[in-house]
Amino acid sequence: MIHVYGVVDELRELPPLEGVDGAPLERRCVDELELVVSNRPGVDVTQDAVLRHAAVVEELMSRSRGVLPAQFGPPFGDEDDFATAIRTKADELSRGLSRVRGCVEFGLRIAQPTNRPEAASGSEYMRARLEQERVLARIEEPLANLSRATSSNRDYLVPTENVAAFRRAVEHLQADHPELTIVCTGPWPPYSFGADGA
Amino acid sequence: MTAADRSALAHQVTLLELVDRVLNKGVVLSGDITLSVADVDLVYVGLRVLLSSVATLEGQNERVLAGRALP
Repeated sequence: MIHVYGVVDELRELPPLEGVDGAPLERRCVDELELVVSNRPGVDVTQDAVLRHAAVVEELMSRSRGVLPAQFGPPFGDEDDFATAIRTKADELSRGLSRVRGCVEFGLRIAQPTNRPEAASGSEYMRARLEQERVLARIEEPLANLSRATSSNRDYLVPTENVAAFRRAVEHLQADHPELTIVCTGPWPPYSFGADGA
Repeated sequence: MTAADRSALAHQVTLLELVDRVLNKGVVLSGDITLSVADVDLVYVGLRVLLSSVATLEGQNERVLAGRALP
């Protein structure tokens, strides 16, 4: 069965890693798209399998012009199933690859001093929550300005040339808002921006 | 929160985010994984452990990490 790691653009070489379940990595071309896969005897979703999938995608990033990471999904039964599924989605995959090319992803998680505003009533509570969200939206604006796209989950698609400035902007936010705990993770492969409308 | 706490929190959030990305994000090619397959519990137990240690680190005041809830 065939496990897919992602769609790649101008992959220079396969990374010297074993895939999920220890099988060697392989290239596949479906029409204009190039993908990296490995053979899987089983379908188990173990921590080891998840971490190996992540490690392969990470290594593909440094060896190609662009990577559209695949979700860890069930393996395809055979080559025909695989090729058919990729052809069906070919346009969406090409658009996704163009969107994320040259970018990495950062995730921002913000812990507020109290996530439960003091409120005498439900409507007052909702107003306080709304105000919290407004504050967050305002402080995130400099990050959005450095990004090609953002998600509702506070993920940022950042062109590689903006990465240093993005990190500095996060540091400034933390310094300006000591009341918040800001955790910024990344750079990640652009997992969150592959689908249309993401 | 001390610098060491912050660093520990960042480490744990990073692990959470990694697993969340691989399982829940990325472009869907072959459909969702079946959650009944063997060992998937392990992944989610791992997540719960991480979540509760983040909660412990964050103290008693019911702080919750902003952002989308994990499954």
